[in-house]
Amino acid sequence: MAKPIAGRSFIATFGLVFLAIAGLFAADTFLAKTDRAESHIEATRLFQQGQSLMAKGDSLAAVARINDALAIERGNNDYLRALAEAQLAAGENSDSEVTLTGLLNTNSTDGPANLLMARVLMREGRGADAVSFFHRAIYGLWKKDPEGNRRRARLELIDLLAQQNSKEELLAELLPIQDNAPQDLDTRTRLGDLFLRADSPSRAADVFRGILHQMPANLPAHRGLGQSEFAQGDYRAAQRDFQAALRISPDDAASRHWLDLCDQLLQLDPTLRGLSADERWRRSVALVEFVQSDVGACLKPDSPPELQELAAKADAAVKAHVNPAHESEASEANLDLAEQLWQVRRKECQPPASSDSALALVLKRLAR
Amino acid sequence: MIQQLRSNLDRLRRNEDQLALVLSLLIGALVGLVVVAFILLTGRISARMYPAGGAGWRRIVVPVLGSLSTGYLLWRYFPNARGSGIPQTKAAIFIHDGRILFRTVFGKFFCCSASLASGIALGREGPSVQVGAGLASVVARNLGLTPKQVKALVPAGCAAALAAAFNTPIAAVLFSLEEILGDLHATVLGSVVLSAATSWMVLHLVLGDDPLFHVSGYQLVHPAEFGVYAVLGVVGGLGSVCFVKLLLGLRGWFMRLPKKTAWFQPVAGGLTVGILGYFVPEVLGVGYNQVEKVLNGNIVIKLVVLFALLKIVATSVCYASGNAGGIFGPSLFIGAMMGAAVGGVAHMLFPTVTAGPGAYALVGMGTAFAGIVRTPWTSVIMIFEITRDYTIIVPLMISNMIAFFISQKLQKEPIYEALSHQEGIHLPTAESRIHDDRMQVEQAMRLNPLVFSPDAELSAILDQVRAGAFNAWPVVGELGLQGMILNAEIEKFVAAGDAHKKLSEVLLDASADGHAMAPHVHPDQSLSLAMERMGTNHVNVLPVVSRANVHQLVGIVALEDILNTYGFAKRGGG
Repeated sequence: MAKPIAGRSFIATFGLVFLAIAGLFAADTFLAKTDRAESHIEATRLFQQGQSLMAKGDSLAAVARINDALAIERGNNDYLRALAEAQLAAGENSDSEVTLTGLLNTNSTDGPANLLMARVLMREGRGADAVSFFHRAIYGLWKKDPEGNRRRARLELIDLLAQQNSKEELLAELLPIQDNAPQDLDTRTRLGDLFLRADSPSRAADVFRGILHQMPANLPAHRGLGQSEFAQGDYRAAQRDFQAALRISPDDAASRHWLDLCDQLLQLDPTLRGLSADERWRRSVALVEFVQSDVGACLKPDSPPELQELAAKADAAVKAHVNPAHESEASEANLDLAEQLWQVRRKECQPPASSDSALALVLKRLAR
Repeated sequence: MIQQLRSNLDRLRRNEDQLALVLSLLIGALVGLVVVAFILLTGRISARMYPAGGAGWRRIVVPVLGSLSTGYLLWRYFPNARGSGIPQTKAAIFIHDGRILFRTVFGKFFCCSASLASGIALGREGPSVQVGAGLASVVARNLGLTPKQVKALVPAGCAAALAAAFNTPIAAVLFSLEEILGDLHATVLGSVVLSAATSWMVLHLVLGDDPLFHVSGYQLVHPAEFGVYAVLGVVGGLGSVCFVKLLLGLRGWFMRLPKKTAWFQPVAGGLTVGILGYFVPEVLGVGYNQVEKVLNGNIVIKLVVLFALLKIVATSVCYASGNAGGIFGPSLFIGAMMGAAVGGVAHMLFPTVTAGPGAYALVGMGTAFAGIVRTPWTSVIMIFEITRDYTIIVPLMISNMIAFFISQKLQKEPIYEALSHQEGIHLPTAESRIHDDRMQVEQAMRLNPLVFSPDAELSAILDQVRAGAFNAWPVVGELGLQGMILNAEIEKFVAAGDAHKKLSEVLLDASADGHAMAPHVHPDQSLSLAMERMGTNHVNVLPVVSRANVHQLVGIVALEDILNTYGFAKRGGG
């Protein structure tokens, strides 16, 4: 072993080193704590600037500022969420997706991050992928106002499903929200419209009636209720509602269109209750005539014999004179004929110009 | 209890291995804490110097004042604390028995902290290494350890400092061995590893687990990318050479200025960085924030090229003018910018087969480090540790090696060696050792030399011996090499009237009085060893024998041949 140099204090030096370590540890801890506190203040300032820029619509500048804040406080989830939101607003969809992917890798139950990811995917046209992120947002964790945020997420999902025309899924999302949706007029009107789109007119009618109970002069509610009743086949009630809507706003083109349709249906539909046998027969003849006219437009010499035969029958039915005692039987025969003609027409001719024309609607109803 | 402690310490003092172990841990902790304090202090001073939203004039005034004040302090009180600290640390190990004064450590810590905080475009890592080495030296000397023990602890201090400064413990170990000691198989490996690990733990304890740079995961997009990484290696190598040559040239120029201006010279660095920083603030300081942005792909190609060029100028002037600070950090900055530029162009031209510029910036950092500092393995491991991303390692190795070889070819002297040479200090380097080892006996050896039979009489060979240039001759019999016969021995026997004696008898006699020709060399041994053995045995020729059979003569190696191999002209008459 090498000989130590004499005259040095071995023990004292050891003691000094330990003291230095302890002192430095205390000093470093203090410095680090102060540094963190100051860094936090600086990061918060930058983040707030970013938020403010975001509010002003300057998303690109907001992205830069929030990035600066993140450079100081790396891994701050609030900043990351805000960054993703700013990136999305700035049109940097792929950057936003990358930010959110990192965020969700650390916490997959982050409600706001899942909602943002769903929005990013929607923006990228990946609606099917977005649906699962909406669900994660709805069932995810929210720091502030969890119920409200979940509801808003569900409403966004509902909008997406409505766009995709996924009626069953739409109804499945609407039902849980029906009772706890905000009671403001816009939300309730929107909910009623959505029930209509989800093919649930009775629920839509309930919603609109609820609105009209509180605000009898509400145009959208009258129109919505009219549409709901129309969808349920109650044309008279629908007619009344559209008339009420037009009394509130005579220029409302949508209500006018629906009212005209109701009028046509009420004049044409032979299945309405309360019609006399004579009126029912006349309507059945008119219906055959309308269908015959529609079929005649596409009838050709080489059309199938079945169609030609039905056309000839229709011609005879239109020209026939019926004894009042046999009007009921004749009406049924006419309606059968009209329906058969319509079925054959659907196979052999071009689709009708409008699927919601009065004629199409009456025949659809007959088929039911 | 105190008595017990005293007795334990006394036992520890007498057990060299245990003492080295304990001191490695203590030095690791101490150096780690000092470096953390250095980082935090520098950061806090910097935040005061450049408050958020501060006026633009600060970017000129602060570096000028910073360089002026620290320049004076360095000149007046801490002359050994100038510059990086790496050459000074190597000089301490190889020349001064590991002696670094506490005054130097103190001066380095505070002057460097003030200098870096004022925006001088230098790094904190080199100075940290000197501070760490100095602390190890101070502690070891105060404990009364032998110079050998002090020298063994200094690399441990270096590794601890680098582990804390860069948050890269493995690279710190490698750097201490590869650059500081120049020997990857150094016996101090255990101390160095322990110290680096302890320092790293201290860093994590105080500052948390945060890598130096946060980088998105990058990977090789297409095998064709290797070509782009090779181009990056070439660009990195050339850029490194430009940087090193500019820095050395400027330093030489500053050193030729009158000595009385030495205290004022750092202001040139402060003013340069101030003016550049006024227009391009990214030039100020080490620029790690900018590096992080570039690593994450936030680049504009023209800007990153500009940043790289301005940083090369700013760092060169700052360092050459005598400011305190290192070139590690700036190397990473320059490399990241060069990498981002190459990657940006490649991605623009071949978007489907190349990764984003961030991946190239990452590789560029290692490339510039390998080209400038010339520690290729340290640079590979360091980038891996900084980013904690393994996927980019293979391109990094390719790029690094290309840059390393280009740098080696165009700039013969590694930067730290060249800086020492400018100071008039000649340090051994890993490269010079490799070069020494590369000169082997085989390269200077003569095949089929003139040999004598053991049965030959002295009188029969006398004329040949006298006419020859050597003072010894191989004697080879049926059993192979039997020894070397010295001219002096032959003359002695002839003068004594024993010219009829056979060589075998003379060899036996020579063995009997201690003159047996035992020394020999093998073909793969170094020429320096051959010369050493010639000197020890007072001969100008040695037999070269096989490693498999020492009696099998392969050839001979003569002093004249060695000198020729080293490039000395043949002396007439041979």
